[in-house]
Order: sequence, then structure tokens, then C-alpha cells
Amino acid sequence: MSSSLQPDYAAIKELHKTLPPFQPIIPVSLLPYLAYILLTLTFGLAFYFSTLPKGVAKESTVAILASILGGFGTVAMFCTVGVYV
Amino acid sequence: MVLHRYWLHLSTIVLGLASPSWASFENTRVTRSVDLGGSLVYTTTTYNVKALEDGSNVYLFALTEKEQETTSWMEAKVKGHTAPLSLENHGLSHDATYYYSVALPKALDKDQTASLVLETVQAHAAYPFPPEAAQDDRQALKYDTDLFVLSPYKSLTQTIRFNTVGFPILGYTQPKEVAFTTGTIAAKSNSGGAIVFGPFSDLPPSSNTDFIEKHQQKISIFYEFGFPMLAIRSLRRAVEISHWGANLNIQDEIDLYNAGPKLKGQFSRLEHQTQVYQHRQAPHVLTELALQLPAGIHSAYYYDTIGNVSTSHLRIAPSASQGGLPGRSSLLELRPRYPLLGGWNYSFTLGWDSHLGDHAGWDAEKGRHVVGVPIMTLFGGAVVEDAEVKFVLPEASTDVEVFPPFSPSSFSSAMHTTYLDTTGRPLVVFKYKNLTDKHTGIIYIAYKVPLSAHLKKPTAVGIAFFSVFFVAFLWKRVDLNLEK
Repeated sequence: MSSSLQPDYAAIKELHKTLPPFQPIIPVSLLPYLAYILLTLTFGLAFYFSTLPKGVAKESTVAILASILGGFGTVAMFCTVGVYV
Repeated sequence: MVLHRYWLHLSTIVLGLASPSWASFENTRVTRSVDLGGSLVYTTTTYNVKALEDGSNVYLFALTEKEQETTSWMEAKVKGHTAPLSLENHGLSHDATYYYSVALPKALDKDQTASLVLETVQAHAAYPFPPEAAQDDRQALKYDTDLFVLSPYKSLTQTIRFNTVGFPILGYTQPKEVAFTTGTIAAKSNSGGAIVFGPFSDLPPSSNTDFIEKHQQKISIFYEFGFPMLAIRSLRRAVEISHWGANLNIQDEIDLYNAGPKLKGQFSRLEHQTQVYQHRQAPHVLTELALQLPAGIHSAYYYDTIGNVSTSHLRIAPSASQGGLPGRSSLLELRPRYPLLGGWNYSFTLGWDSHLGDHAGWDAEKGRHVVGVPIMTLFGGAVVEDAEVKFVLPEASTDVEVFPPFSPSSFSSAMHTTYLDTTGRPLVVFKYKNLTDKHTGIIYIAYKVPLSAHLKKPTAVGIAFFSVFFVAFLWKRVDLNLEK
């Protein structure tokens, strides 16, 4: 990392004023809904997984899908309750 | 250029005063104005200089050891100009004087003149006198300094003026056997809130042991001060940036104390309540604070070692992105759990969330984010003795560049692990000493966050979920039945 003082400081200060504000990839207002939907789907798929007969292909598919949805749903849930990760 | 007394690239060359290049100026007039406060004292010294030879462009300021020790901010300018000059610290000379030099924007030829202004802020230069006061006593402070302003150049005339903030001067040293004057040495203003020493005429170069031993005198100003003398022993600011939540959290852990006269006797709640009821609060007692926080904040919290403190009122101003006027601040009025009398401490934590878009921008040209956060929340008239500002950047940030407004006393980086982290988040730490209201700058940090970095957290949680499914997968294939 580099530490910069004058005149780099003046330059970054001017640049900062002109930059467009930060925008998240997913709008924050959608996160609560996303959390609810994804986690509901995760739990639904987890229940469905518990009913599956032995079969590597189907079990793996359901587990992977539920894990992916659960991963994103948990991150959205954390942000919704105020733990900004 | 603002000089911080802990300048990292300090030049400690000891000056040889015999060098003819240092005798190239003469002070036609030196006027010092000292604004006496509580924890902070502000001085403004105006040097009207005349060049004694062609091409004179480096001017020296001299500070005594005590001035060097207490000065926490210094700035030099040409009078009438806003851009500060670059101050270079030459360290301690063999005459027990500290020298700072400035290069004039334009060299002066012989007999040309210029006016230079040196502003300083001194921390803890004034002290309570007497050191103890009863609960209903007034607060009086004392400020010690030298009679003459030191300079390596001859000064044709010199004056020092002390001003209080509308409070009376109770007493002052009457210098005796003062050379360089034939008239009144000290004159008090009609209002009683200012005193002028001088004018003194035809002073030789004074920043040398010979002058200091023969002519320099100590003077003291004893004055009333009607506000609590606030100081912050330590300020720990933590800034956490979240891209998923588009949030910037700032949390300040503050160790505040009243540097005024210590309480004489016991604290009387009855006396305190009587003063509050009759609106005659003792001037050295702190009962409430008003702080300006950024616009557009939310979810503010204020707690101390006992727990949440509900005696606070936050008025939120909308940020520019929320349709608010630019330059506005939110106002937090907080009342500590108990009044702060002289010598008493109060430690508390103050924090808030704000939208990351109000502080950070996207630099599409370089593919990086630039975030700007103030070094500290301003506590009016208070000195922050020890400050630490920590930035916790998003996980897997790269190409981090830092731009502090002035050099920190130390800078370090590390990794920080918190919720849902795997590899940890970059942490940069700035440390400062003796910050004043002149040090309210913004630290800018530029960093890059690749898209893959955003997927680290969902991936980590997904793997955790999958491990549970994997255990269930194996469990289905384990037969625990007893064979018949």
C-alpha cells in the first residue's frame, strides 16, 4: 500500500467529489425479500432432500442447489437484520 | 502545507546560524495575537519582513522548547493568501531553539517587503489555577509564555496581545527592567478581556542563548474561562465498509475527561440540581454535548460501560443523495450519565450506519472504489491526545491506496476477520497524537474489489450448508440395524 500526501491528496479529493456514488450489485431494498425467498426455498429443498431415495445424482443436485440458495439467502438475511457483511 | 508535529520525513539538520543566508531579512514589525482558550490556545503571529539582500527567499521561524512541545498544529501563509506555505522542520539548534523554514513564493530583492502569518494551535498550554475548585467556584486558568517573540532576525518593533473569549483577565505578570521599551510595558483593554505587551523596539536577533539569558522573561496571564475544559484521552474510530449491505459503519470509542480544576471536597447532588434548576451551572462542569455527525446517518447508538444511554437526541439531516442540502450535518445532543466535574472521566461508545454511496464513489477509469471518511468527530475546543482510525475494507480488496490529509504518527496494515469471512478483510490503521479542531480532515482510501470477492461469503455459507447435506447423504447409507 502507498501513503500519499500533497499534491496527490488534492487530486484524490477533487476526484472523490466527481465520482458517481457507490451502487451495490443487488439493491439493498431487495435484500429482505431475497432473504425470505431464498431461505424458504432452501428449507423446502432440504425437506425434499430428506424424502429422496438413495441416488447420487438426484441427491447431489438437490443438495448443491439448496446450498447455493442458502448461501446467498444467508448473506441477504445478515444484511437485512443489520449485520452488514 | 499543514505541518503535523509528527511529520514522518522530519529533517533534523542543525542550523549553522553563522551562515550569511540566514541574515537576509529584517522584521520591521512582529505582532503576535494569542487567543486564550481552555484545552487549546490559538496564536497568530504576523511578521512584516524586509529583505536585506537580493534573492532572499527562505525565511526562518523560531520556536522555544515549550512552544515546540505544546504546538500540535502549525501553518504559515503569506498574508492575504489562502494557500499555506510548505514548512520544513530543522529541529533543535545549538541555541535550544527550534527552527522552521518557508520558501517564499517569490524571492525578494533588497528592501522589498512581505507579510507572513504563522498560525499555531497549542494543546494543554493553559492549566487550571488554582488546580482545585469547589462545585460552585468559577474556573480560572493560567497561561505561561515568554515576553519576546524569538526570531533569528532583528525586529524593529514587536507587540504581543492576549485575548480571552469574552471573559475577564484576572491578573498578569508585570515585567520588570525590560529593555527595548521606554513606555508602558503592559496595557489592559477597557473591557478587561485583552492585554497588550509592548511595543518593544529595536530588538536584536533573539533566538540565541545570549539574548534569552539577558533579556527574555517569563510572563503569565491569569484569566477566567467560562466553558468546560474538555480533553479526550483516547479516541478509537473503526470504519467498516460493506459492499453487500451498501453500508458504512463508524464507531467511536471515546475516553473523555474534564481537564479543568479538580473538585475540591465532595460532590453534592443537591448543589448540582440547584444550579441546574436556577440556570447557574458552574462553568467547569460538563452536563451535555452537542456533536455534528454526517448527514444521512441511521441506526445511531450510544452506550457506555453500564449500558445504553437513553439521554440523547439525534436530529438527522438528509444527505445529498436523499435530497438534502449539501454541507448539512446531523446533530446529536447527548447527556452523559453523570455531570463531568474537573478531573472526572467518562468513557462511551458512539456509532452509526450510513449509506455507502454517501461516502464512496466508483472510479470507472481505474476500476476502483474511493471512500472518504473524516478522521474524527469534532468536539469543540477539545484536544484528542491519542487517536486511532481503523478502516476495515471489504474482503479480498486489492490495490489499496491511502491518502491521509496529513502524516499520521504511525501507519500499519493487517487482516481482520469478522462475520462470514474466510480469508479476512484488509485493515489499515492510522494513529495520531494531539489532534485539534484544525485536524478535521478526511482520509481517502482507494481499493479494488473483484467480482469473485463478492462471491466468497455466499460460497463459504453454501459450503457449510452442503456439508450438512453431505452428512445426511452418508447417514442414509449407514445401516445401524442389528443383524438377526
